[in-house]
Amino acid sequence: MWLPALFLVVGLTLGLLTNITIPDQYTNYLSIALLAAFDTLFGGIRAHLEGKFSDKVFITGFFFNVSLAALLAFLGLQLGIDLYLAAVFAFGVRLFQNIAIIRSKIIDEKIILKKIRNFKRK
Amino acid sequence: MKIRSKITISLVCAFAGLMIAIQLQSIQEPNERDTRDLWEIRSQLQLEQKQQQQLYQQISESESVLEQYMELSEQEQLDTLKETIEELEKESGLTEVTGSGVVITVTPLYTGMENIQEYPTVTPDLLNRLLNELNIYGATDISIGNERIINVTPIRFVNGKTYVNNHALPTVPMEVKVLSNNPNRLLDYIQVSQSRDDFAIENLELTPVVVDNITLPKYEGTIQMDEVEVNELEETGEN
Repeated sequence: MWLPALFLVVGLTLGLLTNITIPDQYTNYLSIALLAAFDTLFGGIRAHLEGKFSDKVFITGFFFNVSLAALLAFLGLQLGIDLYLAAVFAFGVRLFQNIAIIRSKIIDEKIILKKIRNFKRK
Repeated sequence: MKIRSKITISLVCAFAGLMIAIQLQSIQEPNERDTRDLWEIRSQLQLEQKQQQQLYQQISESESVLEQYMELSEQEQLDTLKETIEELEKESGLTEVTGSGVVITVTPLYTGMENIQEYPTVTPDLLNRLLNELNIYGATDISIGNERIINVTPIRFVNGKTYVNNHALPTVPMEVKVLSNNPNRLLDYIQVSQSRDDFAIENLELTPVVVDNITLPKYEGTIQMDEVEVNELEETGEN
């Protein structure tokens, strides 16, 4: 579990050190894409906890979600509808659901472990 | 977990981190919007270029002085130092100066006014205006009465008397001596200046004469530089 965290830090420092900025009008797309990335990451963690993690689903989900979110934002801008709100809503709800499931899974595991230990003591 | 999936997750995490970093920087970028128009930017650029030139000039001057110091012996170094001090003293008005210029005589003006009760006096406002105008017209050194005007000369009104350099001015008639690189031009300017009218309102007359050899007295006193600071604050669009 430490490798992904390390890589996250590496990516962060790399981005901060290289001083890359994107033009003002594209920040919307990036923020939406970022939300999609978070959603996919937490989805991956959840799938891993549930024991049905798959490389292909994770990778394709990540890039597909990110590009779809950006596309949705772009489409919304062209049509004059705030379509990115839909993406924010969908990803936000899923993010919360995923985090809730991850939380309950971890708690469950701990409780089960405790119970097993107690059982062994008896 | 397999090592391959670990690596994929790690790479995706790194990518996400990169995105976060870029987003953070992009949001923090526009702290202050640059709202200057083309003209302001151009004038700013010109100003900076002028400053650069001045700085280069100063550097080359200082370097030549430094070279002089390096090349010369100790005695000559002292001489150079003294020369520099003299130059600076001359520039700041601590020495007598002689040169060609204009002598303006301030005299009372009596033209058809029988009922003048008061003897006319020179007020600080009049002097300020006159000095400003003289400086605009290219005066290099000025003295009023017996007082040399330097950069920090105070002109005040105390108890009904005008004080220059903390000394009371004598009553009119008195002389204002002005050195200039082009005295005739200065004379022409003074003869049509606004100051003449202003002095006339106060019943005073200015009579300028070009003199080839004027000696200006030196500034008596010490210049206090304790509170002097460099003012770096300058807003754009002022020039």
